[in-house]
This record gives sequence, C-alpha cells and structure tokens, in this order.
Amino acid sequence: MVRLIVLRRTKPLPYASILIPVSSIILGIILSAIILYFLAGISPLALFSLIIRSFISPTVVKDTLILTLIGLSLVIAFRASIWNIGAEGQIHMGMLVAAWIALFTPLTSAPMFAKITCVLAGAVAGALWAALAGVLRAYVGLDEVPITLMLNYVAYYVLDILVYGPWRGRFTYGYIRTDEIPEDLWLTLIPGTTAHMEVLVVAIIIGLSTWLMFKYTIIGLRLRILGSNPEFLRSAGVNVKHVMVLALALSGAVAGAVGALYLLGDTHRISYPVEAQTAGYGYLGILVAWLSMLDVRAIPLAAYVVSSLRITGITMQIAGLGGTAIVFLFMGSVLLTYTIAKVFSEYTIRVQR
Amino acid sequence: MLNLATSKNNRIFSNLSKLSYERVKPFISLKGITKRFPGVVALDNVSLDIYRGEILALLGENGAGKSTLVKIMYGIYTPDKGEIIIDGKKTNIYSPRHAVDKGIVLVPQTPHLIDSLSVAENLILSLKEYGVFARVERVEDYVKKIALDIGINLDPRELVLTLSYTQKQLVSIIRALLLKAKVLLVDEATTLLPSKEKEKFYRLFRDFVRNGGSVVLITHKIHEALQVADRIAILRSGKLVGVIDRGKARSEDVRKLMFGETVLNMLQSRFNTSRPSTYEGKVLEVVDLWVNSPFGEYAVKGVSLVVRKGEVVGIAGIAGNGQEELVQAIVGLLRPSKGRIKLLGVDVTGKGVELTRKLGVGYIPDTPTRYGVSLDNTIEENIAILLAKEKKIIRWREVKEIASKLVREYHVKTPHLKVPVKVLSGGNLMKILVSRELAITKSLLIAHNPTRALDEVSAKYVRHRIREKATRESIGVLLVSEDLDEVLELSDRILILNSGKIVGVFDADRVERKYVEELMVA
Amino acid sequence: MIEDLVSVLPVFITYYLVALGHGFFEKSGVLNLAIDGLFVLGATVAFAVAAYSLNPWTGLFMSSIVCSLFGAFIAYMATKLPISHGALGLSLMFLGYGLSLVIGIPANNYVYAAALKPSAYTIPTVMNTLMVLFIASILIGILLHYILENTKLGAMVRASGEDPHTAEALGVDVLKTRIIAGAIGYALIGLGSAFFTLTWRIGWDPKIYLLGHGWIAFAISLAAGRHPILTIFTASLFAGLVRYQYVVQTTLGLSTEITKMLPFIAAIISMTVFYVTPLKRKLASPKSLGKPYYREERTV
Repeated sequence: MVRLIVLRRTKPLPYASILIPVSSIILGIILSAIILYFLAGISPLALFSLIIRSFISPTVVKDTLILTLIGLSLVIAFRASIWNIGAEGQIHMGMLVAAWIALFTPLTSAPMFAKITCVLAGAVAGALWAALAGVLRAYVGLDEVPITLMLNYVAYYVLDILVYGPWRGRFTYGYIRTDEIPEDLWLTLIPGTTAHMEVLVVAIIIGLSTWLMFKYTIIGLRLRILGSNPEFLRSAGVNVKHVMVLALALSGAVAGAVGALYLLGDTHRISYPVEAQTAGYGYLGILVAWLSMLDVRAIPLAAYVVSSLRITGITMQIAGLGGTAIVFLFMGSVLLTYTIAKVFSEYTIRVQR
Repeated sequence: MLNLATSKNNRIFSNLSKLSYERVKPFISLKGITKRFPGVVALDNVSLDIYRGEILALLGENGAGKSTLVKIMYGIYTPDKGEIIIDGKKTNIYSPRHAVDKGIVLVPQTPHLIDSLSVAENLILSLKEYGVFARVERVEDYVKKIALDIGINLDPRELVLTLSYTQKQLVSIIRALLLKAKVLLVDEATTLLPSKEKEKFYRLFRDFVRNGGSVVLITHKIHEALQVADRIAILRSGKLVGVIDRGKARSEDVRKLMFGETVLNMLQSRFNTSRPSTYEGKVLEVVDLWVNSPFGEYAVKGVSLVVRKGEVVGIAGIAGNGQEELVQAIVGLLRPSKGRIKLLGVDVTGKGVELTRKLGVGYIPDTPTRYGVSLDNTIEENIAILLAKEKKIIRWREVKEIASKLVREYHVKTPHLKVPVKVLSGGNLMKILVSRELAITKSLLIAHNPTRALDEVSAKYVRHRIREKATRESIGVLLVSEDLDEVLELSDRILILNSGKIVGVFDADRVERKYVEELMVA
Repeated sequence: MIEDLVSVLPVFITYYLVALGHGFFEKSGVLNLAIDGLFVLGATVAFAVAAYSLNPWTGLFMSSIVCSLFGAFIAYMATKLPISHGALGLSLMFLGYGLSLVIGIPANNYVYAAALKPSAYTIPTVMNTLMVLFIASILIGILLHYILENTKLGAMVRASGEDPHTAEALGVDVLKTRIIAGAIGYALIGLGSAFFTLTWRIGWDPKIYLLGHGWIAFAISLAAGRHPILTIFTASLFAGLVRYQYVVQTTLGLSTEITKMLPFIAAIISMTVFYVTPLKRKLASPKSLGKPYYREERTV
C-alpha cells in the first residue's frame, strides 16, 4: 500500500518565490486548456497562441496599471490575513462618488482640482465601504469573505438604482445610462497605449507608499503581525480591532481610487445593469495579489500576466462562449494550482510503502 | 469521586496473557530510530527494548527527545531512519489507529479528549467494533461498568469540559483499557500530579503490568522514575545514554547520565540573590475576582491577592483549576465578571491589554506560540512590536541592538536575527520570549509556566533572571506554575489555587510541601 | 393559498438542502467558500443533463453526483495538505462559474435550437410532487441531525471539526471522515441547486453567476448555527423573502433594485444577529473550522 505523507521541509524550497507563481500559471493554463478542449472543443494550440498574442496586445498596459493598483490594495489587506473579496464593490463605490462629482457638481469648472477630488473622494468612499465589513469583522466577529462578497452585490444594486433612476442621462439614445462626464475631466492617454498618465502616477505613488509602509512603519508591522498571529498582537497590547478595520479601510481606499480613475479614464459614464458591465478587476486583483506572493515588488509583473490572461479571455469568442467564461476558468484554475503549489514552499511529500 | 481500590477484577485485563515476569523476548524493539525536524535532530540512532510485565521509565530533560520517541511509537510521527519490531515482526506504525491495533495506547500529559463531546462520544471514536452508524448510547453502559471496575464513578454522558484534570486522565486510562492495550505510553501524564493522586495511577500501572502488560512512563523527574520503574532508560540530546535496572539505580548516577558531566556543575551551584527584608508599595492588587471560563461557569471564584515591589508571589495548583483564566484576566485578555484589578494603583479591570502594557507589565504566557510570539516573523520583529508605540517609524538599528544583546545574554542558538522565529527550537524560542519580556517589564511580570519547555540549564537560568529582576529592579512577579518544585524554589509567598479559589497562603520560609500538596487536591 | 405554497416550496427546498449540505460539511472543519460556484455549477449541470436527456430526474441525479465529487475533492485537498481553505474554496468558486458557463451556454443554445418546451425537461410544479419533495427534504434534515447527535459518524464529524489533531489521536481517520462529510454535504448541495433550474427558475441565464443564491444559503446555515432542524426556520424565512420579492416590492413601493438587494442585506443582518446574541455560543462554530491541517504538527 502506497501512502503519501506530507512533511515540513527541513530546508525551505529554493527559489520558491519564482517557482511557485510560474508553475501555477503554467499548470493553471494547462488545466483550463484541458477543460476547454474536452468540454468545448477549443484547440489548446489556438488557446496558447492567443495567450502569447495577448501579452503584446495594445490594451495590456492599461489593464496592467489598473491591476497593479488593485493588487496593491489587496496585498495591503492580505498581508494582514484580511481577505478582502470586496474590491469590486469598493471600486464601484469609488466610481459612484466620482460620477456624482463629475456629473452633478460645479467642481468641473476646475478640471485639475476636480480630477484630484474625484480620486480622493473615491478613495474615501471605497475606504468606508470596506470599513463597514471591517467593523463587522472586528466587532461582531463575522468572516469578512462572505460579507465583503455580499457587499459587492449590494454595491452593484445601489449603482443600478441611481443609474436607472435619478442619474439617468439626457443624451443616452435609448440606453439606460448616465451622461458622459465632461471631457475636461477625462484622463490623459499615454501615447501608444490605452492607458492613462494619471493612473501611472497614482500607481507609482501607492506602490512606493505601500512598500515603505510595510518596511519602516509600526502600522506596517502591526498589519503583518495581524496576518501571522493576531492573538500575539493583542497580547502585545495593540488594539487588534482597530488594525483590522484599518486594513480594510486602506485596502478599500486604494480600490475606491481605482474606481474613480476607471470612470474618469475609461468608461466616462456608468451603464445599467452595472453588474453586467463590470470588468471584474476586483476579482482579478485577487489573483494578482496571490501570484505576487504578497510581495509589493512582484505586483506589476503579476498584474501583467493576469492582464494578458484577461485579454485572452475577452478576445476569445469561440463556439459562442462569452469571454467571461474563459476568464473565470483561468482565474479558478490558476488560483487552484497556486493554492496547491504554495503548500510545497514549506512542505514536501514522502512516499511510503 | 475517586475511590481507587486495587482491582480485584481481572476481567478487564483478559486480553493480556498471564505470564510471570519474562525477560526472554521484548514485546517491542526499537532499532536505530532517527528523527529530524527543521533545525534540530530530535532522535539520533536510538535503540530500545520494551518487555512485557515491566514499567520502563523513559527519563530525560525537556528537549531530550522523549516525546518524539513516544510519538513515533504512537504513529504520529514517522521516523527518518530505523525500524520498529513488534512481537518479532518488523512494523511500520502509520497512525494512532494503527498503533492501537498493535496494542499501543498513549496517555498524554494534556488529555487527548474533545471538550465539547461527551465522555462516551470521545471513547466510541476509538472503538473499532462499533460501526459508523452505531448509536453512542450503546457504549455508555459499557464505559460505566469499566469505570466502576477500576473504582471510578463517572457519567459517560457528561461533556468532557466539565471534568477535572485528574478525571480526564482517568478517562484516558479507561480508554486504554477499552482498547485492550498491551502497552501504555504514559507521556508525563502523572508528572504534575500531587503525590496522593500519583499513587492512584501507580497502583493501576502495577496491576496492569502484573497481568502481562507494559508501561512506558515518560518523565523528566528523577524521583518519579526511581519511585515506580523497573528499568530506567535515559535520553540526552536525542541519544540513549543508558539503561539501568531499578535495583542498581542511584540518583547521582542517573543525574549524571541525564545532564552530562559538565552541565552537572552548573546545576550544583544554587543562585544566591538575597531577598529584600521588607517590600514596599503594591504593584498588583486583585480584589474578589470572578472570571468566567469559555464554557459558562466560573473558573475563578473570588480570588484576592497582592504582589508588592521586589516580591515573587507564586501560585501553585494542578492544571485546570483556573490558572489560565486568572492570568488572562490580570493581563487584560479576559474580562472578569466581578471584582477589581489594580496595577500601580490604577484600576485596570476589564480595560484590556493596551493599558496593562502601557503600565509596564510583562507577560510570559502558558502557550508561547499562541500569545507570546509570531512564528512567521523574525526575532527583531517580535521585539519591535512591543517597543515604544508613540513612534510611527521603526528604528531598526535600535531593535537590532536590543535583539543582539538578548541573544548573547541568554545563549540563544540562532543562525542570525532575521530568521523567522519558527525555525528556532522550542527552548530557544522560549528564551527569546522570556528575555524580551524581562527586558520590557517595568512594573509587574506575569509568568505562567515560564520554564515548561526549557531544558534544565535554561530553566535554572531563567528562574535566576526572574529572581534577580524582582530584587534588583523592584519589580513584582506573579508566578503561576503547575510545577510545584518551581513555585517552591522561586517564590517569597505561595498561594494555592484550587477550583478557582485561593485555599492557602504560605510564606516560602515556613512552608511544608506536604501541606501544599494536600491543599492542591482537597 | 395553494398557489402560494406551490411557488414557495421549490425555493425552500433549494435553500434548505443547500444550507443543510453546507452546514454538515462545515461541521467537519472544512470552510466551504466554494458554495456559490458549485451551486451555479450544480444548477447548470442539472439543466444541461435534463435538457439533453429530456428527463429532469437524471438532471437532478447528475448534479448531485458531480457536486458530490467536488465535495470529496475539496475535503481531500483541505485535509491532506495544510492548505488555505479560503483560497481553495474561492478558486473552486471561480472554476464553478467558468465551468457552468462552458456547459451552460451550449446547452442553452441547444434548448433554443430544438425549441424545447420547459415541460420537457423540468420537474412539474404540482402540489403532490412538491409536497413529497418537501417532506423528503425535511426527513433528510432530521436524519442528518440524528446522525450528528446520536451516532458514531456524527461524533467523528464533530470531532474532526472541533480538534482534528485530538480526533486523529483518538483514532478517527479525519481524512476519510471529512471526505464522507464533503461527499454527503455536496450531494445535498447538488440536489438543492438542481431544483433551482428544474423547478423555480426555468431556463438558464448566462448571468446565473451573478445571482448569489449560494451565499444566501451560506447565511441561512450560519444564522441557524449549522443546526439541521433550526435551518428549516432560517430557510423558510429567506425562501419567503426571495419568493415574495415582488409582493414586498409592490406593498412597500420599492424599486426592483432595492428588492434585489434585500436578501443580501437580510443575510448580513441575520448573520450579525446570530453572532451578537447568545446563539453564537450555544451553537458555536466548530473550533477548527478553516484551520489548515498539518498532521505532524509539533507543539512547543
């Protein structure tokens, strides 16, 4: 009888931080390819060539920047072992507030100021939406995963109510959507791409701040120890509840800012039904955060890979299968292989007869 | 209800063949067992024979490898090298279930019982003869009968969380008997019990081996091994350094084997820090404290005590009499239902750990990996988190200095300061924790089983430092320990905690161990 | 009155069975975050198989089998490896969404192309059939409760959820126990989700992954403390809320969107209420729920 025994490694796996993400991406893609071949007759070769082409697609820069920011947002929470699955809702809340400022306030007469206000207000909205879940987690003890997830749905519907009702545009040609935001507030394109300067700037700022925070500040250390041993953090005299809420608030703030930037740069308006229009960055960001092994420096690279996968999914419209199906398949497969591979950084398997 | 009479009913031992004391072939033979963990070799080529009809003591200090060896015999760990031979056949023990099949049953120090399940439910889990859909009711009568046979009155429908520590240990024995055990692995299960309680278990063991069974008694107390064992096997740093027959064993020889020649000298010198003649100023004042246990009833029932500057107050008691709840309430991790706690005159009742830490309290917890350190973080990080909170930026250079100093002073074995703490051995981890807490304590040190995982030398050093800190810096120390020897050695005043109440207060100079033990059990 | 019951019973049966299966599985200590993804997958498999075979009962059966296999897989992974239950669950959630789209879209196209009438592949929502199914599900709940409280299997499941290391030391095969719990639990989830497409939501919608019914069932189970009998009450509450969305909407004059939000808000509120009241202690979560399990754990 063959037995598999899982044992802790006596020496850590060399090059784990590269081996694990790379192997999980490759194995995840293979798993998706197998599924797509047997269930939908899609040729693996066609799939792989499309993936390669997506890496140099014109839209990959834009997605990479956005996913870098979401990746940062989620890494802040994940390093504290706070599983923020609500980035989608936080993004949309940021979008909501930014849309309100852009469409319904006189701030638009000062475009530079308005843009900054939109982003900051978006951050605040995202922070508050996330903090709601944080409070329920810290003070009531509810697992943040189902809560943040359900709040995603609520966020979608809140926006739906507004877009269907009071925010319905005047120049919409029969579509249910808001008006376009004034062109002054549109973001500046980086030439040669579909990405925007302002997003790049924000990404750099948030990236550096996050890295510095974790390395040199007491807040960063508290977040990290919340992630590794919250009971010790409490014994050490730190108010753990505050740190939990803060983790979500900071995470939500970045996501909310992304929502504002996304509105100002890409969509320029909100269309109904919101849940059907979303690009799913909030969920894709989960993959980015994990593939980067929660290391801030690896996020842009992970974002690049996930962007390419997303673009593959969207451009693939074979056999009438929508892009969403492929993206979910990639997400699920890569996340599954990653979760399993991660175990092997610390453990090994011995075969015993 | 613990009336333990010598068993006259041999029905329960019917599975054991009634042999006279046979030394011909060992029942279990361990050959060349080696086991490694990250950073440490726990067992190095250990070979040992276990015969029927004997009580074999496995003696060694903490970290010597006894527990690892037992866990290998019980199927919880797999050896990296070596073989196990049972009844002449080479065997691999894959799991506790497998070990039980072979007749090997573990009686651990912390009872392996699930609190939220009843006694009967816990026991039916081990019994193979009951299928998955068997009603738990069926086992209840059988359990009650076996319990009565060995003289215990027990309701098998009671939830385990309502039982006392001794009762839980007795349930573990009942389980072994139900499983028709041939070998009992008693892993420090009786080490912390007071003498009277120990006697009950020893009588059971002697009955058991008289009927052909074997008992492997794991302990780190020499006097326990000398008291009850037929043979004594001594482990030191993972190696088997000697096996002595009871008749030929002398305390000195055993001690030498256990600790090695050079270490012996360090142990002989007792530390001589003088105790202050008077104590000034109350550091800690606890008045009529009542604390709930997580299961609803009160674990601490009206405890009052005082700790003054420079004084070491020791609280003795058997595990499970409210120590954890008392300690956690004073630290601020648990909110008491009634009563007052005052630290340096400030009322801290129910105000949380933030306040107690601010007032300069140090805490050595009973479960260091849970409340004392963060295993995935480095030594430096585990220190930095407790330093000044007002600063927003961490001064890593300062932290590094402090960390280096502690590592040097306490002889912590670590590759460097930036390793995650989980890489360190249990003993070294404790040293980091203890040194850190001693360094940051400004008013009161609360130590709960501070030397539990430490080897003898480190344990003595830690006790010395605690004593020194109390005297030199006028710190108050509240020592809560389930090891009576430690309490007696270190304290100025001794309180006895029994069922959540303080049942005795003694001055260390005028205390007699006998009385203390009696009060612990009453 | 009869029409009311006819319309609410299928919803109840779906929610109850899914919550029942989820709760039973979690009692063995495995955090089940894949619930919504596999709900969607189960519903889709049921739809597809029923449509292709023109027999709703084969659809029901296959959905149960497929989900059960996934349940066993989750239990195996979560126990054999010291893996993050949350990450495992979420990855299977996404995989579930993806697979259901890959299976559902072609099946849906087939239904349109062959112009299949719903009656060809759904379970007839007549009072007699529904009553039988309703009583069957209640009986399953009672059976599960009996197993948990009175049998060795129940003790094994609860022990694995409370303290798998001690359970292992006591002789429980935690891996086997959790696999059984996963297989049974997810078989029920598959059954419940099959009812979704086969009784009350006829036809398959490519937006099925946006509905979140799995999470509602998650809240239903949690708010009842994973107790098989108490889940009857929480399931009834939510079944009523969801079924009578329209009534609630018109009576209170709310917009469609607000009523769409209601089940989720109710879910959050019900979970909060459970946690804030003494219920949380009396019907405590399994102590080791979601804790990665490493058999050779070394304690200081």
